[in-house]
Amino acid sequence: MTVFTRPARAAGLGQAAGAGMLWVTWRQHRGLLASVLAVFVAAVASMLVYGQRIHHDYAILRACRPAASPGCQGLSNYFNSTDWHLGNYLQVALLAAPVLLAMFAGPPVVARDLENSTYRYAWTQGIGRVRWTVAKLVIIGAAVTIAAFAIGQLFAWFFTPFLATEQLTVYTPSVFGTRAVAYAAWTLTAFCLGAFLGTLVRRILPAMAITPVLFAALAALTWFDLRHDYPVKTFWPMQLFEAGWLLTLSAALIAATVWLVRQRAE
Amino acid sequence: MSVLTLPAQPGQDTAPRPLPWRRMAWVTWRQQRATLISVPAVLGAVAVFLVIFGLKVHHDYAAIVKCPLVGSVQNESGACQQLFSRFNATDWPLGNTCAILMALAPVLIGAFAGGPLLARELETGTYRYAWTQGLGRERQVIAKLALVGITLAVVTGAFGELFAWFFQPFLYTEELNVLTDTVFSARGLVFPAFTLVAFAIGAFFGMLLRRIVPAMAATLGVYLAVRLAAWGVRKYYPVAVVTSNSKIFSQFQTPSLPGFPWILTTWVTGPGGKPASPSVANRILNGPGPSPGASVPAGYTEWNRWIPLSHYWPMQFIEAGWLLVIAVALFAATVSLVRRRAA
Repeated sequence: MTVFTRPARAAGLGQAAGAGMLWVTWRQHRGLLASVLAVFVAAVASMLVYGQRIHHDYAILRACRPAASPGCQGLSNYFNSTDWHLGNYLQVALLAAPVLLAMFAGPPVVARDLENSTYRYAWTQGIGRVRWTVAKLVIIGAAVTIAAFAIGQLFAWFFTPFLATEQLTVYTPSVFGTRAVAYAAWTLTAFCLGAFLGTLVRRILPAMAITPVLFAALAALTWFDLRHDYPVKTFWPMQLFEAGWLLTLSAALIAATVWLVRQRAE
Repeated sequence: MSVLTLPAQPGQDTAPRPLPWRRMAWVTWRQQRATLISVPAVLGAVAVFLVIFGLKVHHDYAAIVKCPLVGSVQNESGACQQLFSRFNATDWPLGNTCAILMALAPVLIGAFAGGPLLARELETGTYRYAWTQGLGRERQVIAKLALVGITLAVVTGAFGELFAWFFQPFLYTEELNVLTDTVFSARGLVFPAFTLVAFAIGAFFGMLLRRIVPAMAATLGVYLAVRLAAWGVRKYYPVAVVTSNSKIFSQFQTPSLPGFPWILTTWVTGPGGKPASPSVANRILNGPGPSPGASVPAGYTEWNRWIPLSHYWPMQFIEAGWLLVIAVALFAATVSLVRRRAA
């Protein structure tokens, strides 16, 4: 059966198909991609605006002498009660974002076509079901990974004052996980996990319910256990090691998704 | 077009037929059984875990309470202190995780139960069939909303009570109280009220957007706004009292009510009841001393506007009340959307 759905092996197909795939992916998932863009812009804007304020407050706090005087204590209390609240909420939102993305972006990629039976049409186009699935996963995956990397980079700047005032370090699990390299890798893994589970279960809603549970389990396991077993112990090697195994996992999830798509009979 | 799909014409059949309650309940059950089974099943499984783990927490806490000289200077590094640190290291992380999940539970239940409630029929096109039955589309939708909504409210209400029992020891050990946002919203009447609002938001957006996944995403966003609004307006409920400082500390020492009451604002008056100058007020409020009330010089009074912990139930009624009004308004809006949509 699959022989009939393979793309034509004509020369010069690649160029046109690439642009076509990009366009169809955008058309099919424009709601998702537009929402991701909107959230991205809102997050960047709020981090820039509040980040300026927090850095400004922190500079005043650091310049205050003597540090034990009531005036300086008042500044410190103010920083802890207003700026830290904001920083903490933003950190929680940043940690929740990959879970939400895994729920809402991953499962529909393949499962929507399966649920609506539109896969019969989509998969029998000249492009071929395997290339089509890979294209969608790579295009959306790349978009969310780049967005997550930029957010992580900006958040590292935003969060710097709190490392000193809240007795945190870059090794604190929540801080380590929101640094750009690891954060981008976690976001990609979340998306790939959602896409895989959607393809496996073939229904969007059950996949949306299972994905966050499995993702949270993986994150908790990493935070509390796996990270202690890394062969490297300093910040950058640890970041790269974590990103490395998460990328491997993402690739494996994409491969498994593609395999499931290929296995499925028309 | 819609004329063709209306039930019997009024002229021929003026008296509405008696409501077939049992058949309506049966159809709702058949259509919504995934929700009606999975929500109680998941909460039931978590409840078993809470009971087992809760007995351990209460047992560990009782050992701390019974321990003599807890907190006294000579026993600071002794056995009692060890009991306390072990409680914080083992029981509290799991208790805290449960509290976070309780904060997420209403919106997850609401999105998964409410989002698909009507959007599934619209997405798959089965509404054309379902809404043209003799029962009438409005009654059918009301039956669905009522049956699922009441089930969710009852189940989460019971679950909130269990969680309140489970979490009680942590109020004492973690310096929380019943008015702390995460605690207040996860028990009593407010927890089922939040669940009902989330469900109503999900059903409404399912009908408005006619697609399941966007409706669920919208539910998350709108629920977050409602939750933040509740957190923001809570301090304006008309239950606060104004007293001079000493009363707060006497309540703090009442053993039956754990935790410090919720202090909204603090200010200082000087001799003759006039407001003290900012520098004096700042020195009194931020100055050194064993407790904030102890360093007030003669002639000055520190005043507080605060909410006693004993006002917990009035606050629960107020919050559950306005949440319920929002839920009912959303249900009404949903039914009105159903009525307007051409079949």
